[in-house]
Amino acid sequence: MAGVSTKEIKTRIRSMESTRQITRAMEMVASAKLRKAQSQALNCRPYFETLYATMWDIVNHDRDFSSPYLAKRGGNKAAFIVISGDRGLAGGYNSNVLKLLNAQMEGKDASILPIGKKGADYFKAHQIPVLTENYTTAETVNIGDCFSVAKQLCKAYLQGQYDKVYVVYTDFRSVLSQETRCLQLLPLEKQGDAPSGTVREMLYEPDSETVFAAIVPEYLGGVLYGALCESRASEQAARRTAMDAATQNAQEMIEGLSLQFNRARQAAITQEITEIIAGS
Amino acid sequence: MNTFSLKIVTSDGLRYEGQAEELIVRTVDGDLGILAGHINCVAPLGMGMATAIIDGEKRYGACIGGMVSVLDGSVKLVPTTFEWAVDIDIARAKASEERAKEILANKTSSDTDIRLAEARLKRSLIRQSVTRYK
Repeated sequence: MAGVSTKEIKTRIRSMESTRQITRAMEMVASAKLRKAQSQALNCRPYFETLYATMWDIVNHDRDFSSPYLAKRGGNKAAFIVISGDRGLAGGYNSNVLKLLNAQMEGKDASILPIGKKGADYFKAHQIPVLTENYTTAETVNIGDCFSVAKQLCKAYLQGQYDKVYVVYTDFRSVLSQETRCLQLLPLEKQGDAPSGTVREMLYEPDSETVFAAIVPEYLGGVLYGALCESRASEQAARRTAMDAATQNAQEMIEGLSLQFNRARQAAITQEITEIIAGS
Repeated sequence: MNTFSLKIVTSDGLRYEGQAEELIVRTVDGDLGILAGHINCVAPLGMGMATAIIDGEKRYGACIGGMVSVLDGSVKLVPTTFEWAVDIDIARAKASEERAKEILANKTSSDTDIRLAEARLKRSLIRQSVTRYK
């Protein structure tokens, strides 16, 4: 190989090898964390689904529309809870969340509550004001934090600070597929037509206002925690896939370079032999 | 006795899914008993003991926060935390009680700390009382 010395190639192989070592280690770490996050997400899923389904059942059965949580408002003020990761090198995980957020934010007077360091950094860099920076490490946010966030948002919502509340998160479908989603939390708008024909009575204990005032914050907190679990599992899965791909790329490059190196070495030997023969 | 389908889920997983004969839970307004054929109903939960009769056998649990809903005959209990009496770690509940009492006894604690400690104290007392019914 003209122009490239064997020494140069050797150095490149070495550096590639150390890169591969790092990416492989990161993949291993992500796999271990994924297992934990995945079981947490799967544990949480029945809760998330039941809570969601029950809430919508209640909302769709509602016949007196007194609760402010159910009323649609005309305003344009929206609060977004954005769940991102704390670290990079997770493929498109963080950027996909932010991309979806930017698309959703368009045309709205948006306030943002970031969960996760990457999201918080992004808003800082783009000088987008955030509501609070208390939850910038997604890994340490626990269920209690979710409930206190939910309570705060409900209070602000009732005071009319926001007209809509969304959560932007990543749904963990499987280890290989994750999907970013934007879920509307408030107001609880009826889906489709109200059940017609048989009007089923719903008993509120003690009365509908108290019921909604008590369970909506619970619902929000629960859904938020579910979204957080899903996002965490997605982050680790995305990182594992990304690191797996990086390890494979490094492997391929090392193979290519080794081939080059061997050719260069052989060419040098051949040249030496030719010189010796020519000299004798 | 007639049965209804009961599902108890919390954020750390499914606690029970199957048929039950009776469920008594503590709502914010007092105890609510549910038998098969109950009217559609929804109520927020308070803090207290939940009793379920499953296969003629009484089972007790500590049930805190969340909601209970009856829709078309199926009952869903979605509490913030729920433990069956047999799963409760008494030592942990006791330790939590001590910690909460310490904070409450401390005159310099902040308002939020006091509120959290009160809630913690209540939870640990409920857990301890439920274990007596094991």
